[in-house]
Amino acid sequence: MLGVARRMLRRVDLAEDAVQEALVLIWRRAHQFDPERGSARGWVYTILRNRCLTLLRREDREVATEPEAFDRAADGAVVNQAFDRLGTTSDLRRCLEGLDKQTRQAILSSYVLGHSHGEIAGRMEAPLGSVKSWVRRGLGKLRACLS
Amino acid sequence: MTDRTLDILIDEVVLGLADDADVARVEDMAARDPAIASRLERARARFAPLDDTADELALPDGFWSRVEGDLDAGGIEAAPTSAEVVDLSAVRRAMTRWRGAALGSIAAAILLAMTLGWSVMTTAEPSVIAVLLNDNGEAIAVVEGRPDNTTLVTLLEQAQVPSERVMQVWTKPDEDGPPVSLGLLASGRSETLVIEGLPAPNPQQLYEITVEPAGGSPTNLPTGPILGKGLAKQPVI
Repeated sequence: MLGVARRMLRRVDLAEDAVQEALVLIWRRAHQFDPERGSARGWVYTILRNRCLTLLRREDREVATEPEAFDRAADGAVVNQAFDRLGTTSDLRRCLEGLDKQTRQAILSSYVLGHSHGEIAGRMEAPLGSVKSWVRRGLGKLRACLS
Repeated sequence: MTDRTLDILIDEVVLGLADDADVARVEDMAARDPAIASRLERARARFAPLDDTADELALPDGFWSRVEGDLDAGGIEAAPTSAEVVDLSAVRRAMTRWRGAALGSIAAAILLAMTLGWSVMTTAEPSVIAVLLNDNGEAIAVVEGRPDNTTLVTLLEQAQVPSERVMQVWTKPDEDGPPVSLGLLASGRSETLVIEGLPAPNPQQLYEITVEPAGGSPTNLPTGPILGKGLAKQPVI
């Protein structure tokens, strides 16, 4: 869990906070978990990811980020590593491979790094509207490929 | 909203691209409509393999006492996206009693299992639930034993198992008898184990996870260190 949180939040102290908060929420909402609706593991990670996203968006508002802190190369490496670590027989990997590079990068950046449409557009130096439509088209292709 | 629009919205919620209002809208629709809930779950499952690609990092010392502190203090409030009101008093009471009791992990496991209740309350077949705790009282796994001896083992934290070793899950169907292996967690992750020839699990049945040589215990009895153990409890239906 800590690895997922650190990947999104980049700082280990924030990641520990996120895992801690997610565990408290998990204890409290245990009675809401319904195994007929999905796996416990998926449920736990959804709570964790939502917590990280909340912290990320809050951080964006409250913490002034130096331009240097946008380490695009490092972000790219994290996204590529996530893709490379998907099992070679993984359907998700096969279907992601079917997307063009920019679309794949955009979708992975949002899930793995928690980037918003705006952040993806900024990093790719592409118009926001184009990024939104790439992502939507890519998601449609992924859904068709994986179903 | 068309089906296609809804599919895109669901995917954007799963990726984290949707804004708070859209997340709340989709969660609300899923709560009312099981068909939408299952589309949401399928979308989550499509991307879940990416969760496994993150580095495995150990939690720092003292981490669990921070979590306990949060539970005691009331800690963070439930996320605003959840419309449901959660009664926290039972959990807090149980956690306080848990710490106060300090009678060891088994007592705590029973308390927690009762408090958690899990969602077997809503399923037709009765099952038993055990929360496995390590020597420090940290919850390491939740075990759900079904009457057909399907055992769902949900690890709550990535276990640090040396290479050439494997986690093995045990239970004692007969309180005075020997432990019986339910299977190996060969992937090192949460798994569903199936075994035949055992009676349906009882409340009070002991579950534990030990670290054994690759391939499982050579003696067919636990030989390695215990990662966690706990007594099962039948949830109140």
